[in-house]
Amino acid sequence: MAALQEEMRHTYSVCPVCLKRIPAERVERADGIDLVKTCPEHGTFSSVIWRNRVDFAKWRGSLPPVGETENLRCPTGCGLCPDHQRNTCCTLLEITDRCNLNCAFCFADPSGEKDPSLEQVKRWIDDLTDPGKTLLQLSGGEPTVREDLPEIVAYAKEAGCKYVQLNSNGLRLAEEPEFLRKLAEAGLSFVFLQFDGVDDGVYRKLRNRPLLDLKKRAIENCGRCGIGVTLVPVIVPGVNTEQIGEILRFAVACSPYVRGVHFQPVSYFGRVPQFPRDENRYTLDQLMEAVACQSDGMIALENLAPSCCDHPLCGFHGDFVVLPDGSLMPLTRREKMAGDSCCGSAREPAGDGCCGSAGEPAGGSCCGSAGEPAGDGCCGVDPAEKNREFVGRRWERRDLSKEGCCCSGPDMSDMEDFLARVRSHGFTVTAMAFQDAGNLDIERLRQCSLHVYREGRWIPFCACYLSPMGAAAPGGEV
Amino acid sequence: MPVIDGGGRDQRLPEALERKVICRRCGVAMEPKKTFFDYLGHNFHTEVLCCPQCGEVFIPEKLVKGRMAQVEQELEDK
Repeated sequence: MAALQEEMRHTYSVCPVCLKRIPAERVERADGIDLVKTCPEHGTFSSVIWRNRVDFAKWRGSLPPVGETENLRCPTGCGLCPDHQRNTCCTLLEITDRCNLNCAFCFADPSGEKDPSLEQVKRWIDDLTDPGKTLLQLSGGEPTVREDLPEIVAYAKEAGCKYVQLNSNGLRLAEEPEFLRKLAEAGLSFVFLQFDGVDDGVYRKLRNRPLLDLKKRAIENCGRCGIGVTLVPVIVPGVNTEQIGEILRFAVACSPYVRGVHFQPVSYFGRVPQFPRDENRYTLDQLMEAVACQSDGMIALENLAPSCCDHPLCGFHGDFVVLPDGSLMPLTRREKMAGDSCCGSAREPAGDGCCGSAGEPAGGSCCGSAGEPAGDGCCGVDPAEKNREFVGRRWERRDLSKEGCCCSGPDMSDMEDFLARVRSHGFTVTAMAFQDAGNLDIERLRQCSLHVYREGRWIPFCACYLSPMGAAAPGGEV
Repeated sequence: MPVIDGGGRDQRLPEALERKVICRRCGVAMEPKKTFFDYLGHNFHTEVLCCPQCGEVFIPEKLVKGRMAQVEQELEDK
């Protein structure tokens, strides 16, 4: 494991008690890296952020640290300011503060207050939509508790949202196929389905009731309506870390109804059962290792890479095609990405792309890095837009036109067969590691492209839901 | 032979049904041949017109802007 370079050690965070912006240091220890910070008023705090299952320096790549005079308003001054380094990839809109579950973990921690009116929601949609581009995530609360959800979806599509995503626990999608049919007719693009495991013990612990059968019915119903489903497991140590492989196998078996799995290692904001100690945290590199180890060779570590849009420590993705025998054909190759630019051709020597170099670490993605102004990515391509188009085309069902036929024995080196199969059975393995008051890193936050819309402001997700952790003993883990 | 619009599997030009495409160098009619392309570490083939003597291939604009561009897009990452 390479030692951290000096520029990788320093960043800024917040005091987990008072949320004031304070300097922080990434400190190496024998088996990992901690984020350590001291608040003059509340003491010193430490959170594990890496467990050395993947080389930290290579994964993070070459990014400039937050300068002393940069991002001074982070994270309390959001909306987006000139120091923010990414445009909006996805806009999250909360359309209700009610929910039909009472989960142990919930970032939104809804209060159950009265919904905003349909007219109010329409005004928000008018304001937030960039016609032909916007990926709108309808969220809450649980958005399906609104009877007028189909109207909201239809309005968003009419306003010009390119993709409308529903973030849902799936209860109503399972129980009311007619409601789902209306959503499909309204133009719903895809569903992010809370899906934490493959047995009811997991759901009892995290969601306070058995839900597996309901989840399966929701997937089936969405499949019949032509709405793509991405499974979203929250990964909690001691609850479901051993089910990562089984979740992946379940998802692959449900292709093309299921378009991928989007893992979210647990974060401690909103409603949580307790403030975390290090053993309650599951780091991004732990997750990558588990994906590779538990998938029985289906997915290799080299098939997982940082995105060109978000900070490398915020997530990873792997792009695949599900083949008829249930195996995965990997399209993402991390080492290849390190040399090949996104805009070079295969005939160029590796590393001679317009914006990469052969010596660049894998994590130094080709399409923009810290220090670039928002929107200036590789060859003028906005990283947020590139990211949005990638997830849009993978998560949306594209097998419904029956273009081509490759159901039996496609020749994946044949252009026609490849195109037909990747459209029908494309499959993504992605992760987003949200930040809380314990491990918040402003270097990461300033590169966030998932923004919550609130009354005319776009707020980076982890700034929006940041919540204090209460008093802690000096030197304590948070 | 059918001609698939939009850069499909058969890449011969519609006019090729009536008019042959001649290799400028060799002066002979080009013939359809399975040809391989590399992109981002992946290898794909499709049928394009090829000179039977010198091996020069003719890649029509429709293929470049159609199927080849689509394959590139599918392979480009997040």
